[in-house]
Amino acid sequence: MSLKEMIKDPTCTTKSLTNYKWKEHPDEEKWADCVHCGLCLEACPTYEITGQEQHSPRGRVHLIKSVAEGKLEVNERFMDPVFTCLDCRACETACPADVQVGGLIEEARGQIRQAMPLSGWKGMVSKVFLEGLFPYHNRLNKLGSLLGIYQKSGMQKAVRKTGLMKVMPQHLVDMEAVMPKVNPPARKKYKNQEVIKAKNESKQEVAFLTGCIMDVMFSDINESTINVLTRNGSDVTIPKNQTCCGALHVHAGNRETGRKLAKQNIEAFKDADTVVVNSAGCGCMLQDYPELFREEPEWQEKAEQFSKKVQDISKYLYDTGYETPSTPLNKRITYHDACHLAHGQNVREEPRDLLINIPGVEMVHMPNADRCCGSAGIYNITNPEMAGAVLESKMENVPEDVEMISMGNPGCMLQMAMGVEKYGRNQKIVHTVQVLDWAYKQDDEQKERGVPDG
Amino acid sequence: MVKKLKTNDKHINKLARLLTGPNAILYHKEDLLAYDCDGFTIHKHLPRAVVFPKNTEEVAKIVQYCAKHQLPFLARGAGTGLSGGATPLNNEVIISLVRMKKLISLDVENRRAVVEPGYINLKLTNSISDKGYYYAPDPSSQYACTIGGNVAENAGGAHCLKYGVTTNHILGLEVVLPNGEIIHLGNDGIPDTPGYDLIGLITGSEGTLGIVTKITVRILKNPEEKQTVLAYFDDVEDGSRAVSDIISTGIVPAAMEMMDKTAIEAVEAAAFPVGHPKDIEAVLLIEVDGISAGIEEQITDILNVCTSRNVREVKVAESEQERARWWANRKTGFGAMGAISPDYLVQDGVIPRSRLPEVLSRINQISEESGLRIANIFHAGDGNLHPLVLFDANKPGDTEKALEAGSACLKVCADVGGTITGEHGVGIEKIEEMRFVFSDSEINAQTEVREVFNPDNLLNAGKLFPSPGRCGEVKKAMKAVIS
Repeated sequence: MSLKEMIKDPTCTTKSLTNYKWKEHPDEEKWADCVHCGLCLEACPTYEITGQEQHSPRGRVHLIKSVAEGKLEVNERFMDPVFTCLDCRACETACPADVQVGGLIEEARGQIRQAMPLSGWKGMVSKVFLEGLFPYHNRLNKLGSLLGIYQKSGMQKAVRKTGLMKVMPQHLVDMEAVMPKVNPPARKKYKNQEVIKAKNESKQEVAFLTGCIMDVMFSDINESTINVLTRNGSDVTIPKNQTCCGALHVHAGNRETGRKLAKQNIEAFKDADTVVVNSAGCGCMLQDYPELFREEPEWQEKAEQFSKKVQDISKYLYDTGYETPSTPLNKRITYHDACHLAHGQNVREEPRDLLINIPGVEMVHMPNADRCCGSAGIYNITNPEMAGAVLESKMENVPEDVEMISMGNPGCMLQMAMGVEKYGRNQKIVHTVQVLDWAYKQDDEQKERGVPDG
Repeated sequence: MVKKLKTNDKHINKLARLLTGPNAILYHKEDLLAYDCDGFTIHKHLPRAVVFPKNTEEVAKIVQYCAKHQLPFLARGAGTGLSGGATPLNNEVIISLVRMKKLISLDVENRRAVVEPGYINLKLTNSISDKGYYYAPDPSSQYACTIGGNVAENAGGAHCLKYGVTTNHILGLEVVLPNGEIIHLGNDGIPDTPGYDLIGLITGSEGTLGIVTKITVRILKNPEEKQTVLAYFDDVEDGSRAVSDIISTGIVPAAMEMMDKTAIEAVEAAAFPVGHPKDIEAVLLIEVDGISAGIEEQITDILNVCTSRNVREVKVAESEQERARWWANRKTGFGAMGAISPDYLVQDGVIPRSRLPEVLSRINQISEESGLRIANIFHAGDGNLHPLVLFDANKPGDTEKALEAGSACLKVCADVGGTITGEHGVGIEKIEEMRFVFSDSEINAQTEVREVFNPDNLLNAGKLFPSPGRCGEVKKAMKAVIS
């Protein structure tokens, strides 16, 4: 960078060797733990596919450190490995020294996006979706209604017959094909209800983050979550001012918007003791909020307090106790660990426990269940080729003879649905809490019919 | 038609044409930087390029090209080595073998498997365990390291006490020689073929004699039973006496590992803690395996020995999960140093078991003199000691101090009748220390062997042997100057 450019750039914060010239440098403490042992390599899906170490966790950490040491510039070639990372955090599980690779990647992306703001088509997409859509649930709802109209009015059928699908990029066509049937969002449905009361005796109150994709595309899962919570003695509130968790923004390097959303959520949930989340990606982001405020100590403290309240639905049920269904469901199910549940929140056994305890459920082991499926937020839209390769290797591990693949994250659900479609499989993609809800519904039906328990 | 790459280096474009895989060559600085060292991070150097051949023929073509144009080159697997064996000191073309990662064949009846060099060590065991078999050499990096790299370094591991190191498990090799010729060693796993033991020579040659492209390994039947013991000692001497006593009873444990206080601090602060007491001086992890009959007696004997050596607490793993936790804690020990220190330098001395207390106290002295902490992880059963010198490369002078301290530890090992490496190899790291154990003429004898295979010294030059000792080469160079 020339002196002229440096003067032009008022956000330059350091005069040392570092080539990170923008706000929020990647955290030196994080890479200091890396001793370059390489035990992370095999855990990394992008290393598995490319065999190249710049696409491995160790390589990425090394590159991020090298920019700080002035050996590399923040440029396109540095951007490639940093943005090819799925942010799946499998390396963090493998790492003996607990290096927070995911956090480093996100911080490096923040630098890259400040150094090279997106322009042209990509810039527009990012502006429209990340900044113009996700933070506004009313706009998302409208999009949801449009999707509903698209699906119900016969337009979907019509569009599929036109040539539009032929000119759209293949990965978007694949995605269109598996889009779930859209129902009215939970936030809309319960907007006049201060508290959704527990069905029987109320034991505790929880606040529920409805999520944006979840509430628009998978509102039935939100419905199931509320059913399961209220059935097990929780009063549920849906704080009105809650917003998108910001995970997609932070993954994309847009930390400013991420912080804005984080602050809004911290405020929106400040009266809650427990915040229940049914989307692994959102839950992990909420728990990571303190990372966003390394340069704002006052907010960091609030974020610390907030993040401790956040729990995935499966962990919450497991920890606080739940009613075991009694009517056999008779399904063969396999479980896929969402990265941001297994690697991000260390929640592995709890959802499996929920499933195993449903009578008639036969759990079938999926090898490498905690391997990323390639969804990774909007990675499957931004890096379709790599996402496709990761998905292919995921699908090879899905047992042939199961009826359902259960998981805890909407992004994974769309991606796995694409996998099922693409590889001619016939499994139903379900959220863990849905399975439990169905089991409860069966119990209710049995009861109505007057069949005794068991 | 191959797309012309954006570089002025004509060799890069020519090398690219020899390869058929996608993105099979790296040549931009940003990408090469990830290859400037392996698990030994003190010396770093950028390679000229990294190539990713798909098969033996591509490896041979690359090697022929390099030989013809006198370009230095070397082979690399997962880059988990700890002595710098894969570091491109001479701006080498790195031949990465990680895309050659197939299990080619499995012959359970004759207990052998054929793998490509990029096949991951642990994957072999994982992929045959359902048939009741496993691959014995288990370096702690087995989650990530390649079997090709294991052959180059003659890798050891915790269970090598009973089962031997890599060389005891290699039945055949396909090797690309430094002139590009492909040779096959070993007669499909038939033992004791007549003639020189070239497999033994190539195994552990640290990538200086040829590039291994296919490996026939021995696989073993899973032991019928396995028991694991954890024992805590208040005194290191008691712990090491217990090790010798156990061996003296006639038991050959599958593994017998020791960690000292500093090492325990690290593993407990890292990703796989098991709750070792903070104030103990040594922990022993002992595993026995084999046919079920007799295992109980062995465990009783081991517990008795520990008690007689004043053990504070001793327990037997109650479940497979508990055993796995103990081993994860031990096997991630090196990486765990990251939790208590920014950098570490691991040494790899071998000593007679009985001299351990004395060696540890001398290492302690080195630590005090250098002002650097030293943790000790020890394959106690076979006397293979890993002092881990903790330092901060960002502190001026620290790296040099660490190197000196590491070297001093090796000197101690050599002085008590041991040697300077048990399993990590010499690489760049221990080149000078080779003089602790070999005379000039012994070193020359070995470099002359290298010259037979690698006459131009293009393959992985500057590793394994100190250069001033290479009289033969000096003579040759002088001759060239004179003529």
